[in-house]
Amino acid sequence: MGNKQTIFTDEQLDAYQDCTFFTRKEILRLHGRYYEMAPNVVPMDYTKDPDVKLPMQLIINMPELKENPFKERIVESFSEDGEGSLSFNDFVDMFSVLSEMAPRELKAIYAFKIYDFNTDNFICKADLEKTLNKLTREELTAEEITLVCEKVIEEADMDGDGKLGFADFENMISKAPDFLRYSLTNQVYQQKPL
Amino acid sequence: MHYHYNEAFENPDYHFSETLEIDRRGSSQRNQFSHQTPYDSSLHGSYGEHRGREQNYPVAIPMSSLGPGSDYSQNLPSTSPYGNFTDNISFESEPELIHTRHSTLHLLDYPYTHGISSGSEDSFIRRRNRRPPDEIFMASSSTLETDPACSKEEDLVGSLASMSTNERMKAMQKMPETMGKKREIRNKVLKEITKRSRHRGAQLSCCRQCLQGAAVSFRRFGNALSEYFHQLRVWHKTLKIIGAEFGTSVLSYFVFLKWLLNFNIFSFLINFGFITIPQFLAAEPNNLSFMGLELLTGAGYFQQTVLYYGFYTNATISKTENGPSYNMQLAYIFTVGIYFVICFLILLFSMAKFFSRNFTNSELFSVNIQVASKLLCIWDFNITNEKAVKLKQKNLHTQIKEGLTEVNTEVLSFSVKERVLRLAIHLLAWVASLGTAVAACTGVYFLSINNLELFMKGHRSDLESQTATLVLPVIVSLLNTLIPFFFSWLGHLEKFQTPGQHIYVTIARNIILKMSIVGILCYYWLNIVATSQSQCWETLVGQDIYRLVLVDFIFCLLGSFFGEFLRRIIGTTVCMNLGLPEFDIGRSVLDLIYSQTLTWIGILFSPLLPGIQMIAFFIVFFVKKVSLRRNCQPPRKVWRTAQMTTSFIFLLLCPSLLGVLSVIGVTVWRLKPSKECGPFRGLSSMYAAVTEWIQILESYTASKWVVWIYHNLITNQLFFFILSTFVLIVTYIYWQIIRGRKTMTKLLLKQINNAGKDKQFLRRKLQAEQRAKRSSSARGGRGQQRSSSSYHPSRQPAQEVPGYPGRAFDTNQNTSYNEHPFSAEILSSSDFLPGWEPGAARAVALALRAREAALAEDSGGFQP
Repeated sequence: MGNKQTIFTDEQLDAYQDCTFFTRKEILRLHGRYYEMAPNVVPMDYTKDPDVKLPMQLIINMPELKENPFKERIVESFSEDGEGSLSFNDFVDMFSVLSEMAPRELKAIYAFKIYDFNTDNFICKADLEKTLNKLTREELTAEEITLVCEKVIEEADMDGDGKLGFADFENMISKAPDFLRYSLTNQVYQQKPL
Repeated sequence: MHYHYNEAFENPDYHFSETLEIDRRGSSQRNQFSHQTPYDSSLHGSYGEHRGREQNYPVAIPMSSLGPGSDYSQNLPSTSPYGNFTDNISFESEPELIHTRHSTLHLLDYPYTHGISSGSEDSFIRRRNRRPPDEIFMASSSTLETDPACSKEEDLVGSLASMSTNERMKAMQKMPETMGKKREIRNKVLKEITKRSRHRGAQLSCCRQCLQGAAVSFRRFGNALSEYFHQLRVWHKTLKIIGAEFGTSVLSYFVFLKWLLNFNIFSFLINFGFITIPQFLAAEPNNLSFMGLELLTGAGYFQQTVLYYGFYTNATISKTENGPSYNMQLAYIFTVGIYFVICFLILLFSMAKFFSRNFTNSELFSVNIQVASKLLCIWDFNITNEKAVKLKQKNLHTQIKEGLTEVNTEVLSFSVKERVLRLAIHLLAWVASLGTAVAACTGVYFLSINNLELFMKGHRSDLESQTATLVLPVIVSLLNTLIPFFFSWLGHLEKFQTPGQHIYVTIARNIILKMSIVGILCYYWLNIVATSQSQCWETLVGQDIYRLVLVDFIFCLLGSFFGEFLRRIIGTTVCMNLGLPEFDIGRSVLDLIYSQTLTWIGILFSPLLPGIQMIAFFIVFFVKKVSLRRNCQPPRKVWRTAQMTTSFIFLLLCPSLLGVLSVIGVTVWRLKPSKECGPFRGLSSMYAAVTEWIQILESYTASKWVVWIYHNLITNQLFFFILSTFVLIVTYIYWQIIRGRKTMTKLLLKQINNAGKDKQFLRRKLQAEQRAKRSSSARGGRGQQRSSSSYHPSRQPAQEVPGYPGRAFDTNQNTSYNEHPFSAEILSSSDFLPGWEPGAARAVALALRAREAALAEDSGGFQP
């Protein structure tokens, strides 16, 4: 732990702690993970908030995300530029929301973003189709997919605009208590301590 | 928490397209920085390009990584105020943009303010944009959107600054913002706080600084401490791994197991502390020899140890002659009594918690199968194991197909003959299963009577009779293990309509079987053993329970071995089509409940039984974990985990703990304790110890209040009558409140529905309007547009950037979502200014009219 001070200042750690659900140690560990992915791009010294971003390709290969069918969307939803490259800030943000400490409401917001593939603030039919394909590895016929999507919209769309807004989504997940457990909880494994 | 999505729906004026537009732009804020950092472009060179190719994401790319060329410009030829920038790529390298966020605030006023609009219209729009004051956090997300929102951010900072440190932290953590934004807000808040404190006392600054420094370091210390406590959470990692490989449903079994383990540790500590340790002080020497078989039978050597009731003394224990003394009788009865009260309360509260979280919401809506929630809520983000993911996807596929067939066929209609046949099969299955349960009970009953005779006859510690005592627990465990297989076979024969029914019926049958076996054993212990001529019947019962617990534990291990290990060997080598075994959550949980029930019954007769159960559960946890990870595959069925956990806790409470409480009650109040052993020897019932104690207390004036409580509260029927009346009244009030809320929910849903209708109606009108206008005045509009945008040359670089991704979304909307022409239309139309102003005015009027119409339609519904 001797190098603790050189990565972040106490000030920064406090800021991270205030803004995320992580403790100092966890933030340092996250930095370790971030650094591991690209040791020659990411500096060890973060005291000056260097502007470094890692591309999506690296991040979705993390064991925590690797097998997730929505990995690209997850990363995109958290990247500030919307393209999937994550700065360390975004990276911490992502795992903060994914941690089991994050409240359901926060998770719901990001879950909505993740399912909203075309980022138009609505989950529309096309988004649902994509979700369905990701969930079932594209093994349903086109007809079945349309049928399921229609059914979903019919069930969840309260205001009849043919797509699901955030309110619809929120209402729907309130009916599904399992969402709390299933949703977006994917903690960072404890890796070797720094 | 409210966010701008949310607000959009709460706001009845949502369907005005400017609001729509605002929301859209708000969400696209993130993207505005995409091209800013000089660094970014260099990365693009190295990673960005090949990533673009590798990505299998056709839609995601165009919206952000497409240059402002192609689609973008052709879709917004006339419209945007930034039209003249559409082919300007140079803003990508505009580094100062990072610092000019505030200038973007003016952006949204732009369409309204640039010259034409009448004042009233403008203020109307602004009024609509004003948020209710309680939605502080929403303001945080909308700070960049509108001018008034600029002050909103200040408001937010102010309100955050006035919160306590803890609250502020929580509020900050919950903000759905990017880290950079959050940190910015945090810095502002901190600045605000220091400013305020400086205001308050400039002179005290030195002292205050010291204090603040101390507070900060104290907080850091607290954080460090909580980190270490964090590490103390046992099995956290194990549970994580199980969750990752097998999903939440299997995880719930282990969580339940851990919970029970904690329960047992707690009760072991209580019993050991309050009953066993004092007993050690007054222990008599044990002169029985230890042979080894006792470990299994619990008899022999153990008979004279603290393990059983019979060994405890009825004396008051005191170290010195006249020092404080310890009344063993009272300690025994109060420890057990208080433990059960605590158990009951814990179970009741966790039950209530789970119930309110999982059932109240779903109750309203659970009419139809929810494809929607299945689709969007089902993905278990816990899972990170490749195989598990593939399997899960496959299972989902089949489930959705099943769901589809259900949707398609709706309700299967049977002919009368078929229905009768099905009913007959169900009846037959129930008769068969109940019959088996009854047969098992009779068998156990006669066997146990036989067992007792054996006890009475041979109290010599010869090996044979000791081994013979093991027959009963082995038979009971065998029945408990084998009959469930028969039940599940029956279930397969019955062909239930839904898998849910199948699961619940099987669980119900298993519960009936287990509880009736335990019931018959209790009957045997309380009615036959207790009245027998034995020296110390409590110890006999304790030994019986000890054996049952132990053999059950061994069977659990054997079950893992045969049911999972051998099954896997067979499944992978001999019978390939059997495949890997699944982890049977339902049965495993029922086994846990069964053994916990035994432990609870046993506490009175063998106070250290929780300790033994604790060790057993500990081993079971590891064995199950290893066996699960080596042998099993994730379950194919979807368990509605949350509801399952609730029902498991319910089962633990309802037949299990309540049954145990009644058994304990009978033992304490009705049965006569044995004369020659145990703390209650010589009393007419165990409870008599309490009454005697009260009588003694009556003579002391200092403890009159205890006596008063005893007479007026505990033994007083009137008090219980009043208490239960009170509880009933409270329940009734809550019930009424719930009913009121349900009606409210229904009305609100209706209102939302009507708002949606409004919106659609409005869209149709707007669309018609649009068409009419577009043909006539498109050209002129564009010209005006351009010229007006150049009125603010100083702002332009900042303005067009945020505008750009917003446009990109619209583009997307237009190109790929033709099935929603309305929304696309409206989006582009909102930029279409010349047509817009009169259109908006008319639209407002139309919307108001539409709402009136909707109100009139269901006038009974929601008149204020």
